[in-house]
Amino acid sequence: MVNRSIAPGFKIPEQIAFTQPTKRTLKNGVPLYFISTPHLDVVKIEVIMPNNHPDYSPMRGLIPFFTLNMLLEGTHELTSDELDDFFDYYATEVEIVSGFEQQGLSLLTTKKHFREVLPVFRSLFTEATFPEKELAKRKSQKKLTIAIQQEQTGARANQLIRKALFGEMHPFGYISDEAHVDAVNRDAIKGYYATNFCVAPEIFVTGHITDREMQEIENQFNDLPFGEETSTSPSFETFDGKRITDLRPQSLQSSIRLGKILIPKSHSDYNALMVFNTTLGGYFGSRLIKNIREEKGYTYGISGLLGSLRSTDYWMILADVKKGFAEAAIDEVYKEIKLLAEVVLEKEELETVRNYMIGHFLSQFSNPFDLMGRFKKIHLQGLDYTYYEDQLRYIKSFDPSDILRIGKKYFDEESIKEIIVGA
Amino acid sequence: MNYQKFELKNGLQLYVHTDKTTEMAVLNVLYRVGSRNEIPGKTGLAHYFEHLMFGGSQHVPSFDTAVERVGGECNAFTNTDITNYYISLPAVNIETAYWLESDRMLSLNLQEKTIENQREVVIEEFKQRYLNQPYGDAMHHVRELAFEKHSYQWPTIGKELADIENFTEADVADFYQSHYVPNNAILVVAGNIEASEALTLAEKWFGDIPARKMSKDAPPTEPVQCKKKTRTVQSDVPTDALYKVYHIPGRLMPGYLEADLITDVLGFGRSSLLEKKLVSNTDVFASCRAYVLGSIDPNLLIISGKMEKGHNAEDAEILLDQVIEEFKQSTISPKVLQKVKNQADAMKTYESVHLLNRAMKLAYYAHLGSPELYEEEYERKLKIKGETIIQTARELMTDENSSVVYYKRKTEDLAHTA
Repeated sequence: MVNRSIAPGFKIPEQIAFTQPTKRTLKNGVPLYFISTPHLDVVKIEVIMPNNHPDYSPMRGLIPFFTLNMLLEGTHELTSDELDDFFDYYATEVEIVSGFEQQGLSLLTTKKHFREVLPVFRSLFTEATFPEKELAKRKSQKKLTIAIQQEQTGARANQLIRKALFGEMHPFGYISDEAHVDAVNRDAIKGYYATNFCVAPEIFVTGHITDREMQEIENQFNDLPFGEETSTSPSFETFDGKRITDLRPQSLQSSIRLGKILIPKSHSDYNALMVFNTTLGGYFGSRLIKNIREEKGYTYGISGLLGSLRSTDYWMILADVKKGFAEAAIDEVYKEIKLLAEVVLEKEELETVRNYMIGHFLSQFSNPFDLMGRFKKIHLQGLDYTYYEDQLRYIKSFDPSDILRIGKKYFDEESIKEIIVGA
Repeated sequence: MNYQKFELKNGLQLYVHTDKTTEMAVLNVLYRVGSRNEIPGKTGLAHYFEHLMFGGSQHVPSFDTAVERVGGECNAFTNTDITNYYISLPAVNIETAYWLESDRMLSLNLQEKTIENQREVVIEEFKQRYLNQPYGDAMHHVRELAFEKHSYQWPTIGKELADIENFTEADVADFYQSHYVPNNAILVVAGNIEASEALTLAEKWFGDIPARKMSKDAPPTEPVQCKKKTRTVQSDVPTDALYKVYHIPGRLMPGYLEADLITDVLGFGRSSLLEKKLVSNTDVFASCRAYVLGSIDPNLLIISGKMEKGHNAEDAEILLDQVIEEFKQSTISPKVLQKVKNQADAMKTYESVHLLNRAMKLAYYAHLGSPELYEEEYERKLKIKGETIIQTARELMTDENSSVVYYKRKTEDLAHTA
């Protein structure tokens, strides 16, 4: 009989191999990063550009979205139907990247069909026609999405916390409505496509491809015309008040969000902040899960996250809680923040957080697609692999008093914004 | 996918998939129990019980902490047919996963505190995912309408909150006794580990868990439907939605793969028939898709769509029926068949990227009968002719075999009196 009361021994990985992509530069100056996947007959190509919106205003806020989402609705060679048939026939997924800071297209295909689909994928960057009929359909679909999000307490709360932190004049704080959909027209889209779309592109290739196939990618994208990035990081304006409430008496739950603007990844306190957030709400063993879910049963899930924008990072707490318990849940969040800022972590919890974070780190570098994802994440913020090396070193060796310091320095209750949507 | 199969004396099946290119490993345990095994009045028990499995066991006070302390992560899901648990961790620490999973199979703590706390958590999950979402309870209505007898008539979360509120400690203890036994489980170990080591560890940690006799009560057989059924739901939603479903054979029965192919042609991707005919070319449908549930027992082919503002679900059904009738009279072009085959082929490749996916697939197909079925089904699917797909559509997609839920936007009048 095995003695079950003795836990098996364990080791914490010493080193993690941060495999880096190789870089080459196309004739037109576009950088291309490549990670090979010799065991997987898959090819993924991502062409990413900064979301470039120099004359940004809420009424024009949806123009990038519609430009991107109309790219598959027809080119000079192929109609919308023909494009759909073509990519589906080759079991190829073309995905729109339409983020707050990045835009572009990604292609996921099999090695077998890669050469057929590449030129058509390339044509989307310069040959899109934006037909009126398809645009009208897209607009009414978008209106329905907006109406559904308005009904969802969670989606609404996400919009409001971003608005509270960044303001409506910032793309991340912007909330689209039906009038903004109506304001979109074909000319505005064509204008955006011509001058603001192909700007400072970078190409990320992950897959099983030969030199010859790499040459074909280069040939296809060698002549991609592109402009210089003109827009600067938009400025944000944080809401003056403490709380925004959207009362919905019929609702069965309240979606609560807490948040504040915090330091960028390049800041020397960032790694400590990451550990603080993980301990508070960043994993299943976190203080917030233990207290608000496992002890009090107010919610199915509560989590803390650190989000990244180029100019700054932000911090948020998210939960949908039992009707009538929004205030109680928010109070408990502040209580847990205060505890982390005042009482040093006990040895056992310290070990759990440390080891969890190292294991999680390892798992995020465990296949070639993850590796490219990790690379993009830092590269697009202007950082390099020393970011990960430093972070791993910090997680392994940080002094728990550092967590107290972070709590005191960044988590003053007065500075945190609150959202409640629901009952 | 490479794998080796073993069976312990207590009936526990072990499948090992070795992958030396990763430093991670996954330990996945599938129990052959889901909401299919529940009875009216006690619905949602399989899923609720999944939550209780994280409440610690005799030698493990906190399951999650024990996983996290060795750099791992864990989770689980329940569906109509199975409950599946996994731990993903650095391969060097795989033995901890064996220790934890075997201990909760052998002697789970079912403390009152955990039972009561997780009852509240599951009730909040029920609200968050199904009741406090626009259209969130649509599948509750669809299942209740389509099935008269079979336990597929409620979703895995449960039929209603009251069932979750009323579970007793005895219900929970009973459920554990009758389903959480080694002879009802499939263990998959995947990642950077040799099969021989995986087997040695399985013998060490699971070998002494006694097998138990299990009551194999099959759910009641669903009678053949002879007449179209409809239900109208009024709700605070932005626009109407339509759900039209047909009974189809179970996952391993003749005709299932044909039904699956029907939905591939009708409703998969932007080039599908429903997307082209109903979404792109009418101003009635904002979206429309088709899929099969794919459960073990006879289940459903589902077509669902949301309407554009100002159009109602009843009119949308007339348009949908026209497309279905045309489809039943059509021939499927070789190009469309080849497309579906290319997609099946590519899906196999895409699915293999993540180790956890591979581990779960292996467990799932082992549960269906054998991991070989994955490849066999694919081969069989590729051989099915266009005429056979159309013939199956003619047999299955009839009005008397259909159930329709009109999920309607509450009119202003009703909204004010509500």
